[in-house]
Amino acid sequence: MSVTAKPTVLGTGNVPQVNRFRRWRSRNRQAIEGWIILSPILLYYSIFFIFPVVANLLVSFTSWSGVYQPPTWVGLANYRIYLSHPYPLILFNTLLFSIIILVFQTTLAFFIAVLLNEKVAGRGIFRALFYLPTLTSAAITAQVFFAFVSPFDGIFNSVLKALGQPIVIWTISTFWMRTFIILYSIWRGLGGPIVLFLAALQGIHREVYEAAKVDGATWWNQMRYITVPLLRPMIIFVVVTSMIASFQIFESVLLISNGGPANTTNVMLLQIYNDAFVNSRLGLAAAGSIVTAVVLLGFSITNMRLMNRGQTD
Amino acid sequence: MEKRKAVEPGRIFIYALLILGSAVMAYPMLYAIIATFSDLETFFRRPWLPIPDSLYLENYTVLFTANFMKLAPVWRWVLNTLIRTAWYIIVPGTVAIFAGYVFARLKFWGRDAAFIYLLSSLMIPGIVFWIPTYVMMARFPGMGGNDWTGQGGHGLVNEFAGLMVPGLVNVFYIFMLRQTFYTIPADFEEAARVDGASTLRVLWEIYLPMLKPVLTVLVIFQFVAIWNDYQWPLIISSGNRDIWTMSLGIQRSLLATAQLKGYPSGTSIQDYPFAFTLAVIATAPLVILFLRLQNYFVEGVQGFALKG
Repeated sequence: MSVTAKPTVLGTGNVPQVNRFRRWRSRNRQAIEGWIILSPILLYYSIFFIFPVVANLLVSFTSWSGVYQPPTWVGLANYRIYLSHPYPLILFNTLLFSIIILVFQTTLAFFIAVLLNEKVAGRGIFRALFYLPTLTSAAITAQVFFAFVSPFDGIFNSVLKALGQPIVIWTISTFWMRTFIILYSIWRGLGGPIVLFLAALQGIHREVYEAAKVDGATWWNQMRYITVPLLRPMIIFVVVTSMIASFQIFESVLLISNGGPANTTNVMLLQIYNDAFVNSRLGLAAAGSIVTAVVLLGFSITNMRLMNRGQTD
Repeated sequence: MEKRKAVEPGRIFIYALLILGSAVMAYPMLYAIIATFSDLETFFRRPWLPIPDSLYLENYTVLFTANFMKLAPVWRWVLNTLIRTAWYIIVPGTVAIFAGYVFARLKFWGRDAAFIYLLSSLMIPGIVFWIPTYVMMARFPGMGGNDWTGQGGHGLVNEFAGLMVPGLVNVFYIFMLRQTFYTIPADFEEAARVDGASTLRVLWEIYLPMLKPVLTVLVIFQFVAIWNDYQWPLIISSGNRDIWTMSLGIQRSLLATAQLKGYPSGTSIQDYPFAFTLAVIATAPLVILFLRLQNYFVEGVQGFALKG
């Protein structure tokens, strides 16, 4: 290892012949390097993150029928459209999906994690089986799932035919389409929460349970008075992130039901996509994205409140 | 303790529940894999579990026919996806290493303001960026027939570059790397500085080996996210089949299985076993990657929760 004498890097400044520029440079090395690195990042960030957010807000106050047309200012008209049919229904559907998916997914994941935490043999294999659907492409698996519910020659109807039952036209049933989208979403999203809950459970010392068993606590009491309180921060985290994720449900609805029948499974992101890129109503779509962002911001703020309350308890 | 566990009848119940649960989770995947070896007729005869009487491989061999390659350039989509995945690992990863270093190790005026400026977009959901970013791509100056003001052409819409421009700075990864730099003692760097090492050398020789675990997590997460990305390719590249990525290409192919498999034109039937084959080959790389790197995945998911 060769030690090369470079006193300027150390910033000692005790070499008499260094000129003023080099002394300035060595004294401000951190600021110079910092800004050299940050400048392109901040420039890119301003163009692709800050500018779009501002632009999107402005676009939401315009009527704009496509990229190659000029937009016209319409004030709050786009937001007023969000008060008329079918937009309230779409917002309702999105909330309905996110709440049902949230409740079932979190509860199931919690109990599966508790089971996996019981020092079971082959835990890795079970965990892998529960986690694998999460890795699949939502677009591809949702499109495959459509093969099952396809109205006449779908796989579910083939089963019904094989059993000698009358076929069901699934795609015209609000109940079935909602159920299928929810089941598909739970199947695909269960892995993440299981892994998270399992990590939190492994952080609880087994002695706590041993002590509780000595005191005669039942399994249910152990859950209620040890596991759930100790897992509280993780439960809040999983609930809020699942809520935020499932409010942005898109691929499964687009490819399984495409919002039908009659908008009863339509969701925010799908409607925004259709408004923007199918119906060429960019202003209306931008307004929809602002509505979505506001709802999600509400979830995030609730999250932070709950987290902070947990810490001060 | 061990002895009591062996006799506990509750253990049998636990295993029963776990096996049932994972069977439900695995059934669709297993079903899809079995179905790929089945022809359409067998498939409809046994729709619950389409185990074929004899191994039927045409669903795989048809992938190499000229008709299929002409209609569905899968290898091109694989290449596009690989290039895009590598790009979105290398660029945001490098940015995160440099920026994370700056925010954790260098002290200068304006650093904290810059950090807050970067964090300010973390709460904003992706949907907000769809429309403005699409417009920016369509009006990209000097590209795709556009003049320098961004007028006259189609810009980067339906161009491969349109898939590669947005999202190159990832604020979450910058934050993650900054937190990791904080956990590394400064002594190593100071020793190297005494030896006259430059910032680039310090990063390359001292920090890069120590950042390996967090970078592995970053690589895995970007790999999964970009490999499966559907929304942006759908928005920006729907009109140009040659630049599609796997997710979009395979999803579109699933709608036209009869043509892809070479049935006479006008056939409206869907060849489900063939659809499953396409889905399986598109999903297999990630599943194999996961089975090899399971622990990194799990630690990564947990790291996200603890740091995020």
